[in-house]
Amino acid sequence: MRIGSAKESYIADEALFATRTQWVWFALLLASLVLFPFVSNLYWLYLACLVSINVISATGLNILTGFTGQVSLGHAAFMGVGAYTVAWLDNNAQTPFYLNLLAAAGVTTAVGLVAGLPSLRVKGLYLAIATIAASFILQFVFINWESVTRGTRGINIEPPEIMGIVLDNPDTFYWMVVPIMVVMVLLAANLFRTRVGRAFIAIRDRDISASVLGISLPAYKLMSFAIASFYAGIAGGLYAYFMGSINPESFPLLMSIFFLAAIIVGGMGTILGGILGAIFMTLTPEVLRYGVDLASPFIDEPGAVLSPVRTIVFGALIVGFLLFEPHGLAEIWRRIRRFFHLWPFRT
Amino acid sequence: MKGKQILSAIAAVLALLLAAAMPALAEEKNDIVIGGSMPLTGPFAFAGIQFNRGLRDYMEWLNEQGGIEGRKVRYVAEDTGYEPDQSVAVFRRITSRENVSFYFGDSTAFHQTINRELDRRDIMMTGASFASELNDTERYPLQFMHGPDYSEQVAILLRHIAEEDPGARVAFIYSDTEFGRDPISAGRETAEELGLEVAARIVTPPGAADISSAALELRRARPDYAIFHGYILAPIPDFIRRARQMGMETRFMGTYYSMDQSIIDEMGEAADGFMGVMPYRYFYEEDAGESELMRAIHERNDEYQTIYYIQAWVAGSMMAQIARETLARGEPLKGSRMRASMEGLDEVDTGGVIGVPVRFRGNSLPVGRIYRADVEAGRMVPVSDWIDLD
Amino acid sequence: MDWLFFIEVSLAGIGAGSLYALTAIAFVLIYKATRVINLAIGEMLMVGAYLFFALGAGWSLSWWLAIPMALVGGGLLGMLLERGVIRPMLGENPISVFMVTIGLGSILVGTVELIWTSAPRSLPGFMPDEAIFIGEAFIAPNTFWGFVIAAVVIALFLLLFRFWRGGVALRATASDQGAAWAMGINVPAVYSLAWGLAGMIAAGSGILLGAMSGVSPEMAMFGLTVLVVVIVGGLDSVFGALLAGLLIGWMESVVGVYLGGEYEHLVTFILLMLVLLVRPWGLFGSHEIERL
Repeated sequence: MRIGSAKESYIADEALFATRTQWVWFALLLASLVLFPFVSNLYWLYLACLVSINVISATGLNILTGFTGQVSLGHAAFMGVGAYTVAWLDNNAQTPFYLNLLAAAGVTTAVGLVAGLPSLRVKGLYLAIATIAASFILQFVFINWESVTRGTRGINIEPPEIMGIVLDNPDTFYWMVVPIMVVMVLLAANLFRTRVGRAFIAIRDRDISASVLGISLPAYKLMSFAIASFYAGIAGGLYAYFMGSINPESFPLLMSIFFLAAIIVGGMGTILGGILGAIFMTLTPEVLRYGVDLASPFIDEPGAVLSPVRTIVFGALIVGFLLFEPHGLAEIWRRIRRFFHLWPFRT
Repeated sequence: MKGKQILSAIAAVLALLLAAAMPALAEEKNDIVIGGSMPLTGPFAFAGIQFNRGLRDYMEWLNEQGGIEGRKVRYVAEDTGYEPDQSVAVFRRITSRENVSFYFGDSTAFHQTINRELDRRDIMMTGASFASELNDTERYPLQFMHGPDYSEQVAILLRHIAEEDPGARVAFIYSDTEFGRDPISAGRETAEELGLEVAARIVTPPGAADISSAALELRRARPDYAIFHGYILAPIPDFIRRARQMGMETRFMGTYYSMDQSIIDEMGEAADGFMGVMPYRYFYEEDAGESELMRAIHERNDEYQTIYYIQAWVAGSMMAQIARETLARGEPLKGSRMRASMEGLDEVDTGGVIGVPVRFRGNSLPVGRIYRADVEAGRMVPVSDWIDLD
Repeated sequence: MDWLFFIEVSLAGIGAGSLYALTAIAFVLIYKATRVINLAIGEMLMVGAYLFFALGAGWSLSWWLAIPMALVGGGLLGMLLERGVIRPMLGENPISVFMVTIGLGSILVGTVELIWTSAPRSLPGFMPDEAIFIGEAFIAPNTFWGFVIAAVVIALFLLLFRFWRGGVALRATASDQGAAWAMGINVPAVYSLAWGLAGMIAAGSGILLGAMSGVSPEMAMFGLTVLVVVIVGGLDSVFGALLAGLLIGWMESVVGVYLGGEYEHLVTFILLMLVLLVRPWGLFGSHEIERL
């Protein structure tokens, strides 16, 4: 039972992993990520890659919505921008994949800055609605800017190549996507040790006070959009490489709602929340499938029931978590941890 | 309270064990497996459920006939809700469990996305999509269609118009979706080649929109014929009713997915005179008895079977033919080998469901007949010969 | 410039706009009384249409029985949502409540798909069928009668709002909750009333929309355009909702015909962006709304 950990310097206080125990757990996590591909089948690896991409995207959205308080329903459209950038570069330029990903992030950041301009004028729900409008406008561009996006016919993307190995299978793709995910998540966690991160939190909690304290609202709000778009761009680019083909209908408003639900379920305003939420929301359909299979002796058309049930469960998760556990899975996790820290005392 | 928690924990563990213990039965290694991502729910379910039944019934019948060179065929499919990522997930699940030789897909987006995987796993694929995009032997070598693609369907309609009514005015009414837009530009070119005038190009936004303004556009254009594409049912009956109300005498036509009897029945009176292109015979046609497949379908079913059910039988029959041909050459059932057999076929075996001999043109079979709805008789009646675009 | 055609297109647009206006009024009602932005309004509309379908086609009740029953059903749904989900969220961050309505919408869509599948259906007809001509301009009967019915309902609603005790209580709660409590108005009951009434109106819109273009789970997309209407009109202004509904209906129709159907939604959302950037409180909304 850990009673307390005394810090002797500001740097120590700020550290991401304060105690040796935390370092050990982190090392174990990394080790299990490394070992995972050797004990799982192709389908689990496919899920793992999908989860990683979603974690990156959810972390980005969390920075914007959870930490800076700017609700965005345009996240999927930003991923689309990243995906189309990668797709265009892949088909028209001979640049290596990591440059493509960085370019995707760059283009998406620029688009995000423009789409974030309404945040300088409106906030809260109005901003959310403005982001819905932005996502529809982007969708229109995807469909009609045929010379770049090939419109509704969609674009195919060749799998990336590292040192001669083609990453066209989840078991090889895993080795690229997971390190990127770990790095992006650590970067996000670190962001909130810096001035910028604290400014974001201040804006979320009370933006008028933040501006009184000298935080330039326009600059930091746009920065938040930019950073979130960066993450969305990387996630979108990875998605394009992973799926191998994208079309305008790949990034609907429903996907933005999915990510927003993921951070609500996971816990807005915590890095862990983004991770847990993405994992939970990506794996829930799988669990549902098992459930429907189990219940299949009792229902006469189990196949016909899965899709609507998924929609209902999705909505019920959002409503349920908001009603009963607004701080999400991260809070549940913290409660469990507290229980074990303080055991045998009661929490 | 504690007791309750313990009980629920035990229940959870038991449930997990039960799920994990669902045995993956050791299947026959020799079976020929046909996988399917089926839209059993979602907006395409009306067809998806029929595809599923049709393929299942066909496989049963095939096995009764002795299978393919003595090997049994096995059909494994799961629901996708017509969502491409679900379709991909189902594909990966099934192909990781089984040795799949053929696959049936549900949407154009899925066909595009899975193409690379298909190449890697050397699996041959067909499916519900007739998108012209897929009719490209270089980009989609392991995919084939068991009918004409949408551009070809529109071309067949236009040919018929040009024969019956040279120089007529034609309007295209389509939905602003990938499905809807697919054949339109090719359709316009074909119309011009055939000397037909494209009177209007009317786009409707997806979703239950009010089509009043589009109907007004139609009236202004006053075409002789209007071709619908990208819809299944709505808003076709709406358009037709309004046109009649406005006193228009336009003849309306549709493409494959609007042509099932049940859809015509849903349209009610508005459907009378509605025409469309169909590559397959209807369940109730008199000369269906000439077709081996139709006879088998009749034996198994007393009531009307939709065109999607029949379509699945055709797809199955073609898969069987390709497999037989490949095995006859002594090759394994791998996609690339089957492609070679496919190209070597003189005539595609559709079991007589397509009334004339057909060959592949690219990835599709560019053949169809024009049918017209006779609401009184409650049937679709053929009004043209089989038109082969080749 | 073919003026006759332009007039026909405009009339069609205003007809469609009347449905937007009706649904927008339901939305504004909820916002004014309970300060909730209800993104599930499209789904509530859809449920109303499906209730009518179930009663009219499934149970084959005649329309003058099925429609009131469907409306009551819609009202009950509204009250259920308010009591069950919105009331517990009172006092929470408005963004959370917003997200809850999105979740509710999802549940409603899934339930409808489960019971009736996603296949589009036609509603039993209940409106006269002959073409209507104003002068030489043609209007589709569905559009015309839809407009008339919507106009009657809106007029009825405005009268109720103005003169009925419940309407006065609604307005009182909307303008100052504390004072309303102090005056002895049962504010929780007003909340339920607001949501119930809005549910009924939305159900009515759904039936009209379904009569025009059939029912399917995709009807819920209507809600997004209604969102634009209320923002443009002003979140808490009934008159704004009316005007903006007609305006946007007209605009979509004209754009759809003269520029092409693909541009309909784009123009609507560009208008939304412009309004948000230039005048976020809409045409007639109260200025303080920006401080959300």
